[in-house]
Amino acid sequence: MRPSVLLRLSLAGTRTDLMRVVLTAVSMLLATLAVLAALNVLAISTPLAVADETGARLSTQYSNALLREPGLRGGTALALVLLTIPILALAGQCFRVGAPARERRLAGFRLAGASPRQAVLVAVAETGIAALLGTLAGLGVFLAGHELLHRPDRRGQLPLPTDVLPAGPGVVATVVGLPLLAALVTALLMRRVVVGPLGVVRRSGRTGAPAPWPGILIAVGAAPFVTLMPLSRWLAEQDVPNWLAPLALFLGALFAAAGVILGTGWLSYTAGRLLLRIGRGPATLLAARRLVADPWTGSRTLAALLACMLFAGGAAGVRAWITTGRDVQEEASRADAAAQGYPYDPSGSDFYSRTLDLVDLAVGVGVVIAAGGLLVALAESIVARRRAYAMLVATGVPRRTLAASIVWQVAAPAVPAVGLALVVGALLPRGIATEVGVVRMEGCVDGVCARSEESVRAIPVLWDHLLVFGAGGVATVLFMTAVGLLFLRASTAVEELRVG
Amino acid sequence: MTFLRARGVVKSYGHTPALRGVSVDVDEGEIVAVTGPSGCGKSTLLHCLAGILRPDAGEIRYRDQRVDALPEATRSRLRRTEFGVLFQFGQLVAELTAAENVALPLLFAGTGRREARVAALTWLDRLGVADLADTRPGEMSGGQQQRCAVARALVTEPRVLFADEPTGALDSLTGEQVLIQLVRLAREQRTTVVLVTHDVQVAGYATREVTMRDGGIDPTGLGLATSVRYPR
Repeated sequence: MRPSVLLRLSLAGTRTDLMRVVLTAVSMLLATLAVLAALNVLAISTPLAVADETGARLSTQYSNALLREPGLRGGTALALVLLTIPILALAGQCFRVGAPARERRLAGFRLAGASPRQAVLVAVAETGIAALLGTLAGLGVFLAGHELLHRPDRRGQLPLPTDVLPAGPGVVATVVGLPLLAALVTALLMRRVVVGPLGVVRRSGRTGAPAPWPGILIAVGAAPFVTLMPLSRWLAEQDVPNWLAPLALFLGALFAAAGVILGTGWLSYTAGRLLLRIGRGPATLLAARRLVADPWTGSRTLAALLACMLFAGGAAGVRAWITTGRDVQEEASRADAAAQGYPYDPSGSDFYSRTLDLVDLAVGVGVVIAAGGLLVALAESIVARRRAYAMLVATGVPRRTLAASIVWQVAAPAVPAVGLALVVGALLPRGIATEVGVVRMEGCVDGVCARSEESVRAIPVLWDHLLVFGAGGVATVLFMTAVGLLFLRASTAVEELRVG
Repeated sequence: MTFLRARGVVKSYGHTPALRGVSVDVDEGEIVAVTGPSGCGKSTLLHCLAGILRPDAGEIRYRDQRVDALPEATRSRLRRTEFGVLFQFGQLVAELTAAENVALPLLFAGTGRREARVAALTWLDRLGVADLADTRPGEMSGGQQQRCAVARALVTEPRVLFADEPTGALDSLTGEQVLIQLVRLAREQRTTVVLVTHDVQVAGYATREVTMRDGGIDPTGLGLATSVRYPR
């Protein structure tokens, strides 16, 4: 098949296909912005000269400490890269928009003589082209933003690293690599779809009712957190590389997130069975049957949001740890200052609070992106089932019953799953430590102290933060469901019964 | 060497048997009508002969080549180069124009777009629907769509045309017109035709009729009509 033919066939489609291309491009644009921003942060050069009295080599041209201090840039870049997780989840949802019509078209190609490889190639090319358009647009937006946001403040400092550009190879790798990744993921997803001349068959990898086995993944994920402190002395003796512990924690968090997301399948199934038992109306019956029949939809549609919630729970745990540590340290410093008769200087103590606020902001951005994915998934599931819904309406089922069943269907697994994600996220940092302490040395002369006093305080669980995050997560789900229901009226028109 | 041969073909869908050891031979240039009541396995036999479905047991040979043993990609190539397939309806890609639909098999075979379009227009003209070249299937009547489908099935000048109820979705007059064109063009090209139908009148256009019943060949040929060789 010639490239021009491949291009023509991959871009042949209806408005729904165009919407899929646009949404895929937009999600890739966002992913490009996040990755380029991370590369931009990493491109900041650390000055060779000593910049301050503590000996830290600060990039003083920036007003933000996250950019000024070299030790914090890696974490900042990592946070920006992590933002791509909900964005890529959004891209995954976008890929499903109009999937039945696309697969019918691919089956048509097969009937006309296309080989299975050619049919998959058409689908892969469509995603690849859409993603490339998105990354190119993302590069354009990034460069334009780079110019527009280059505004030094009164002290001549920059709020963003607009004085440097990401390294060329990194930019090329992003702009080309993301579409290749999208195309590869499409090819992998298409492995589950058998496109034959007579139609499309989906290979279902999962059969039977989901079990609570993903709980094991959560336990495995928690292991590095729980064992870090007991093993810390041994690790220090073994002279292991510095990056090993953070990597183990990162992988642990990924395992825990996977456990929560996969566990949502079991939560959906259990919620469905529970609804079947206690539900009274037709809406709960419809929702319950659907949850039991397809429990994995919940974990798929809520995946990005749950990853954000787990991250939010973890951020709340870290906030509790840091603020408690800061309070204990502050008390000790205040006592020291009083004992030695000099005034206490609290400057710099709000740095971590501001940083944690930025982490919360990142969680918020992640939730917004995940909400976009949720809306796409909801709208797609309603449109895909429009014939069934239209038939129910035609036989007299009120639309409000269908709407209520959809709300139940989304909310029943979402509420416990959001709670689980927050709790797991909050517990992970507590696996490392549940209390913080400061040792105060008193009466020290030439390095020998007369006595020491340890001040220890338990790290509290920030229930208020968790509650706010949980309420925000559930409210996001409900709001997006309400917006998604706008598609219900159009999809339940009786004319939909005539759509093939 | 038999041109197209099925021997002891068995095919089931789950626990439901569709073909129970069917054997049939088709000679080159024949127009064979496979008839029988609904659910007797006509379409399944056609799909197996065309290499769309792989039988559970038995063998399909085309010019001494085991079709059922070929990998999917090779069977696709066979369908693209040697076979043409025609269904009752819904085979045109809704998003493409009539000319693009007809050109598809050539495009998949690597023919250039311009060359494929010229061939498509020629075939649309032969079928009398050249004026619909840039029209999408949704804007055509059922008869016009089926003429486009016939053009697409014949554009590669296949040696065998498999037609599954090709006029089943059309009114009798339109169906007859489409069928007359199909048979005329097949004869002109010396294309072998295997035609599945439950319509006795449609079967009348064939040179031979094979009658099926309950997943096997009905030796009495009394499924719908007597098994006769039509001297056409």
